[in-house]
Amino acid sequence: MTNSRALNWQRLLSTALLYFVLTILLILFMVPVYGAIVTAFKSQAEVSAGGYWTIPTNFASDNFARVMDSKDGNLGLYLQNSLLLTIPASIFSIALGTLAGYGLGKYKFKGDGLLFILIVAGMFLPPQIALIPVFRLMNDIGLYDTLWAVIIIHTAFGIPICTLVMRNFFQVVPNALREAALIDGANEYSIFFRIMLPLTLPALAVLATLQFTWIWNDFLWPFILTQRAESRTVMVGILNLTGQYTVDWGGQAAASLIGSLPTLFIFVFFQRYFIRGLTLGAVKG
Amino acid sequence: MLRRHPWILPASFLALPLLVYITFVILPTLNSLIYSFTDWVGYGADFNFVGLANFEKIFTDRLFSNAIKNTAIWLALAMTAPTLLGLALALALQGKRKINTIYKSLFYLPICLSPIIIGIIWVWLYSPKLGIVNLFLRSIGLDQLATAWLANPNTALFAVFVAWAWQQTGLNMVIFLAGLTSVPTPLVEAAKVDGANYRQTLWNVIIPMLRPATVVVLALTAISALKSFEIIWVMTMGGPFNKSDTLAVFMYSESFRKFKMGYGSSAAVILFLMTLVIIVLYFRQTAAAEELYD
Repeated sequence: MTNSRALNWQRLLSTALLYFVLTILLILFMVPVYGAIVTAFKSQAEVSAGGYWTIPTNFASDNFARVMDSKDGNLGLYLQNSLLLTIPASIFSIALGTLAGYGLGKYKFKGDGLLFILIVAGMFLPPQIALIPVFRLMNDIGLYDTLWAVIIIHTAFGIPICTLVMRNFFQVVPNALREAALIDGANEYSIFFRIMLPLTLPALAVLATLQFTWIWNDFLWPFILTQRAESRTVMVGILNLTGQYTVDWGGQAAASLIGSLPTLFIFVFFQRYFIRGLTLGAVKG
Repeated sequence: MLRRHPWILPASFLALPLLVYITFVILPTLNSLIYSFTDWVGYGADFNFVGLANFEKIFTDRLFSNAIKNTAIWLALAMTAPTLLGLALALALQGKRKINTIYKSLFYLPICLSPIIIGIIWVWLYSPKLGIVNLFLRSIGLDQLATAWLANPNTALFAVFVAWAWQQTGLNMVIFLAGLTSVPTPLVEAAKVDGANYRQTLWNVIIPMLRPATVVVLALTAISALKSFEIIWVMTMGGPFNKSDTLAVFMYSESFRKFKMGYGSSAAVILFLMTLVIIVLYFRQTAAAEELYD
């Protein structure tokens, strides 16, 4: 009796200790997020006076209005550009990945394994290896400094992960489904569109959260492929703002928060899909 | 079982994605190889083939060997600190307690932020006068440790690394947590029944079962460490005195700031070859793991 009670106490104590350490770690981990939020609501005078970690005295700062203003931060335009880029690039990459994933997951042909590896390996390709030739190619075909250049490149670089996830998905869809439809006289393409595609909704949701987040957050490609403010994305825009607002942390923080809202929204409301996507892409690779 | 199909069927599904993939991923990759043998300056169509001159030059370039050194430090740090912390967090938070779900979400949070945003936030944290790092050090009486973290040549690379690791840790935790779900509970229970304490169970049962997840984490970390450019660019642009200049930053600076695109291509090719080594090792390991567990 006494023995098991001692053991219980010991267990309780070690659990308490574990959560104590975890909580300290979590607080440290959240300091940057906390700092960004409180700074966004402070005027520059308040930041310099009170430092960076105090609660704002009055939340009535004009930081958000200022960075969104088309005569000042102009973030509204960059947000619009990012949406006009991220949404089509996500859709195109997922559509092409679905086609390729179906071709590889449901049909057997000579060299299918090699082709699959060749496509999936693209997931790990450092963008640096394609930077200069893509820069040149976009110049040559007249798409340099347009959103289309970035849309195309994100579509192409998204094909590997989308193909991987969709192939793995189609592989586990029972073949009986397809064969029954074939017997009923359906052709291969109507099977794909009418039977298979509706089944893929969960996988599409996973990919949509992943692709949207990566493409929205990407900086390198739009940085290389665009120049004018008219084709600037939100991440490039925010970095430019930090040059313009060097000492204006409130403005920088407000811009950072606004720029993170879409991916934070996905993170909060579609976290299950997002996390599943991360592990699907990683562990099954 | 699947039958073999006439090639026209799979080809009709694969043609369009392959066309896009080959045109905008494969061909540019191969083109980089070609450019690395030229003296192209980034504009105009004119360039000459210079053979191996770029590679001969790069291996005597002090900026390049400096970048390689920084990349090696960055890689070594990347493979250890966030991996161990991610593993520890995954082990601590794997249970089904409600509180774990909340903690996990918060540790995941940095994953959904852009490296640009992360860089901007951490620049304030490191600010010499107002940054929280120095404020904290001063408040506990360690004034002599307070420094301009990003402007100090001895600390810049490490300071940027911590910001990078802040995001990478959560990602590693996700993968380890997925790996932990594949550790069979009966196995852990059996070890307990046999009188093993938690440490013994951890070392002899759980860690060995996490081998595939660990391989994935190490490979993905190494690859993303090699190509990480954005966070360094935002925080230090490779400075001060090139002290945080990694291969990815070197490649960008040579190509797009000095307009030595041929030379920059040779840096890109070297970066690519380093990644390729990791990819090949990774595919071999996962193939071996699949054989092991099938």
